[in-house]
Amino acid sequence: MAQQPLPTSAQPTDIYGGDEVSALVLDPGYCNTRAGFAGEDVPKSILPSFYGHVTSDPPRDLFGDECIIPRSDFEVRNYMNKDSVVEDWDVAAKMWEFMLVKRLQPERQTPPSKNKLNDDVKEQDGEGDVAMEEVEAMEKALEEYPLLMTEAPWNSPKAREKAIELSMESWGTPAFWLSRTPVLSSFAAGKATALVIDVGGANTSVTAIHDGMVLKRSIQRSPAGGLWLSSQIRNMWETSEPKVDLIPTFMVENKTPVDALAPAQARLREFPYKIHDSYRAFEEERLLTEFKESVVEVWRGPGRYGAAGNEEYIKSQPGRVFEMPDGYNQMWREQRFKVAEGMWDENAGYPVPESERLTKAQTIPELIRSALNAIDVDLRGNLLANVVVTGSTSLINGFNDRLNNELTAMYPGLKIKIHAAGLSSERRFGAWIGGSILASLGTFHQMWISKKEYEENGVGIVEKRCK
Amino acid sequence: MASSDVRDVLNLPEGAAGGPRPSKKQKVSAPRPNLKGLAREVHNLGGDNPIAIVPEVTQFKKRRFISRKPAARWELRPFRNSGRTDASLTLRHWRRVEEGKQPSATVRGEGQAGEDDVSGSKGEEEIEDTLYAKYNVQVSVPQYSDDQYHQVLENPDWSKEETDYLMELVRDFDIRWPLIWDRYEWSPPATNGEADADGDESKAIVPATRSRSMEDLKARYYEVASRMMAVQKPVQYMTQPEFALHELMAHFNPQQEKLRKDFALNSFGRSREEAREEESLLLEIKRILARSDRFNEERRELYNRLDYPHAEQDINTFKSSTGLQTLLQNLMTADKSKKRKSIMGGEAPTPSGQPTPQQAAPDSARRDSAAASTGPRDSAPAAAPTTGNKKAQQQQQQQQQQQQQAQQASQQPSQPQERKKLTEQEEMIYGVTHHERLGSGPTFRTEKINKLFSHKSNQQQLRITNTLNELDVPAKLAMPTAATTHAFEQLLASVNSLLDARKVTDKIDAEIKLELAKKAEREKAAGLQEAEKSEDADDGDAKDDAAAADEPPKEEDNQGENDQLESAGPKRSASVLSDKSDKTAKRQKK
Repeated sequence: MAQQPLPTSAQPTDIYGGDEVSALVLDPGYCNTRAGFAGEDVPKSILPSFYGHVTSDPPRDLFGDECIIPRSDFEVRNYMNKDSVVEDWDVAAKMWEFMLVKRLQPERQTPPSKNKLNDDVKEQDGEGDVAMEEVEAMEKALEEYPLLMTEAPWNSPKAREKAIELSMESWGTPAFWLSRTPVLSSFAAGKATALVIDVGGANTSVTAIHDGMVLKRSIQRSPAGGLWLSSQIRNMWETSEPKVDLIPTFMVENKTPVDALAPAQARLREFPYKIHDSYRAFEEERLLTEFKESVVEVWRGPGRYGAAGNEEYIKSQPGRVFEMPDGYNQMWREQRFKVAEGMWDENAGYPVPESERLTKAQTIPELIRSALNAIDVDLRGNLLANVVVTGSTSLINGFNDRLNNELTAMYPGLKIKIHAAGLSSERRFGAWIGGSILASLGTFHQMWISKKEYEENGVGIVEKRCK
Repeated sequence: MASSDVRDVLNLPEGAAGGPRPSKKQKVSAPRPNLKGLAREVHNLGGDNPIAIVPEVTQFKKRRFISRKPAARWELRPFRNSGRTDASLTLRHWRRVEEGKQPSATVRGEGQAGEDDVSGSKGEEEIEDTLYAKYNVQVSVPQYSDDQYHQVLENPDWSKEETDYLMELVRDFDIRWPLIWDRYEWSPPATNGEADADGDESKAIVPATRSRSMEDLKARYYEVASRMMAVQKPVQYMTQPEFALHELMAHFNPQQEKLRKDFALNSFGRSREEAREEESLLLEIKRILARSDRFNEERRELYNRLDYPHAEQDINTFKSSTGLQTLLQNLMTADKSKKRKSIMGGEAPTPSGQPTPQQAAPDSARRDSAAASTGPRDSAPAAAPTTGNKKAQQQQQQQQQQQQQAQQASQQPSQPQERKKLTEQEEMIYGVTHHERLGSGPTFRTEKINKLFSHKSNQQQLRITNTLNELDVPAKLAMPTAATTHAFEQLLASVNSLLDARKVTDKIDAEIKLELAKKAEREKAAGLQEAEKSEDADDGDAKDDAAAADEPPKEEDNQGENDQLESAGPKRSASVLSDKSDKTAKRQKK
C-alpha cells in the first residue's frame, strides 16, 4: 500500500504560488527597453532605448528598430542617460506607451459614439452622458493591467515618483510596483539572497541582496560595461597597425573580398543628405557589438593577462578572424583578450582619454570587494556562495571563469559559487524575467500599490512602499 | 564460399570450421524481411546485417480523440485580497466556471472594465478572497506608551524619537537586522534653541549624526523588548518559553557579539594555507586530547593499585608477632568485605538472566588474579580452559567481560558513579532507549510493523488494512521514526481489539437473531395451541392477556438459560462457523 501521489485536482494550488493577474512588466535600460506580460519567459517587445527624432518641421519621434534607418533631418537620441536613469520623461512616456499599448495590446475598437455609425441625433440627445462616460473610460490605456517597472538601484526618488505618476495618471493602471533590477535578477536566478553582478550596456553594478531587498550600502557601480568595452575596441582599431577604419554596414554599397590585412576595396554609398553623427554612432555600435560577440574574449587565468608568460602563450594560440563590413579582415590574437582585460585590471587594456579611464576602484574585483566590505560580516560567506551574474556584457567568452578565478584569489578560504544562466536570453533579460516571475506570484498581490492608495497618499507612497 | 571451394579442390574433408558456415548463412537469409521499394542489390549491400530502413507507412496519423463534451468555460474573475492594507483592490485572474453557474455579470462583456468599481461596491461579499491573503504576516514589535517609556525604557544613549524610529524600522523590515542596519539613517531633529536653557539666541543646531553599529541597534531593541515583556507580564508568571525568550533578550551582550564578528572578519581574510594549517592544528589538538585522556586513565588505574589501607591507629600494637597476626586477620576481613562489596557492585550491570554456575568461575578467576596481582588479561586463559565448543567460547568471552567489569569495579569503585546519568529530556534528545532484550544485528523499524501484520491471517490483514483505509492512515509508514512506529503499533493494537470486539458483537448478534427466530417459532406454536385452546374455550380473555404479558420475560429468562445451559444449538453453529472461517483462513494461508 504505497502512498499515491495526489491527483491534480486535489493538489494544493497555493503552494506553488502562481496566480496571474495579467500584469505587465517594463524594464528600461540604457541600451534596450523590454516590455511584456508577467508569467512569460521572455519579453514580448524589446526595443532599443535609442529612438529616431526627425528634426524637420514638424519634429517627430520614431520608435523601434525598423525606424532607425538613414534618412534626412534625422538624428538618434536616447531617453535614458548613461546612469540607466530616465532623462527625457516626455519621450520616455511616449516610448513606454508605444511599447505597452501599441505593441502589447490588441487594436481597440473605436467607441460606438465615435465610429460614426450611431450618428442618430435623437439617440445622442438621449444618452449623451453615457457616451461621455465611455469616452472617459477609453482614454486610459492600461486600466486592466497592473504594471511592474524596474529601476536602477541608484534611481533618484524624484524619478521614482515620476514613474508612478505616469503610470497612474496617464495610463490609469489599477496597481503599480517599482522594483530594483538586481533584486529581480536574483529572483530570476531563484534566489532571495545573492550578490548580483550586473554587467550591462552602460554600467556594471555589484549589489548585495538580502531576503529580496537591496542592501543600499553595498551598491557599487562603474562604467565598465558594454560602452566602455566599445571604446576600448575603437581604441584598439585606431592604434593597430594597419589602422582599422570603422565603417558601419549601412555605408557600404558593395565590396570585393581582399586578403587579410590588405586595404579594403569597397564602394561606399553616397547619400544626398547629411547623415547625422548620432546615427552613425548608433550603427557603429552595432558593428562593435558584433565584434564583441564573435571575437572578444576574457582571459580566464591563471593569473592576470599581464602576468609573465601569458601573453606569449596567447600569441601561440590560434586567433579569430573578423571581417569588417567593407571587406577588410584581420586575425585577432592577443588583442582580443587585451580589450576586455581593463575590466579586471586598471593597468591593463588600451589607453583611453583620462575621463574614460577606469580607476582601480572601478574594476570588477574591486567593486565586489567594496560591496562586500559595506555589509555585515555574517552575510558575506553566504553571499559569495550565491553570486548571480547577469547582463549581456557578461556573455563575453570566459567571463565567468575569470570571475571565479578572481574571487577565489580574493577569498581563498571560502566557498564561492557563481550562478550564471546558460541561456543568453536569460542573461540579457535577467531583470525582466525576475519581474515576470514576481508579478505573477499570488503572494505578490498584497504588495501592489493600488490606485486608491496612490490617490490617498500621493506620489510619496512609492518611497514608502517600494523600499 | 572461397574456403569451401579450396577444400573441394584440395580434396579436403569438410572441416569443423567450414561446416556451420553455409547453414548459418541460410539461417540469416531466411528471416530477412522482404522490404518493398528497395532494390535487391542495395539490400544485399548490408550483408548479414540487414539495412535498417523503416518501411514508410502510407497512413495518416491517427486523428486526435476529441471529446464530445463542450469546452470548459473560463472567466476572468475578479478577486480581492484581504491581506492588503487597501483591501478594496480587485484584480482579476482566469478561473474555470463551475458547472451550472453563469459567468458573473461583471466580466461577461469585454469592454466593461470601467464598470468594475461599480460592481465591486455593489456586491463586496460575492467577490472571493484570494488564497494568498494568509501569507501576509506581520511581526509583532513591542509597543509602549510615553509613560511606560519614561518609567522603564530611559537610556542616556537613546532619545525617545530615535527609539521610535528604530521600532518603526524593525517593523518595516520584519526584524531582519542586516536590512535594518543597512537602512538606518537617523538624523536627529534639529534642536531648537527654545527648548534649551540657554535661551533663544541659539539657532537650530543639527547634531552630527553618528553611525550605530548593528550590535547597538540589537542591544537597544532587545532591551526595549525584554523590558516591555516584563512590564506586560511579571517575570515570575511567565511560561517556560516566554521566560527563556526574556532571558535571552535581557542578557544580550553586544561586546561579545562584536568580538565574534571581529573574529569572523579575521577568519574571513585568511588565506587558503592559513585555513589548512588551522584545520590541521585542530586535528592535532583533538589527537592530543584523546591521548591525554587515555594517559590519565592509566595513571588513575596505577594510583588505585598503589592504594593501601591507611593506618589511623597507633601501629605499636602490631609490632609484636601476635600483633602482626591480628593485623593480618584484620586486613583479610577488611579485604574480604571490600571484595564482596566490589562483586556486588560489579555484577549489578550484567544481565540478570545469567546462570549462576557461570558466576562461580569468574569469581575464582578474579580471586586468582587478585592473589597473583596480575592484569586481567593474564588471568583469563588460566581461569577458563579453552574448549572447541563454540558455545563454550561465547561463555568464556562473557566470563572475561564479567571479569573485567568486576575488576574495574573493584579497582575503581568510584567510576560507575562518575558516569553522568542522563535526564529523561537528554535521553530523548540523544535518542537513547532501553530495551529488555535486543535481537542480534540491525533491524528495520518497518519490519517490526510488518511482523505485526504477518502474524495475522489473511482475512484479518485485509480487515486491518480496510480499517486503516477508513482512517486515512497508510499501511506503510512513510517516515518510520521511533515515535511514529510506537504510535502505529498502538494504533494497530487498538484496531485489533476493535476488530475482536466487532467479531464478538457479530457473533452475539447472530445468536440473538437465532434466539429471536426460535422465540418466534415457539410463540407461533404457543399461538397455535392457544388458538386451539380458544377454540375449545372462548372465555378467559383477561387471563390470556396476563399470560401474554407474563410470557416475554419468561422467554428472556429462557434465553439467558439457553445461552448458558442449552446453548447446544446456537453455540455449536457459532463454533462451527468460526471453525470454518479458521479453516478457510488456513487454506488461504497455505
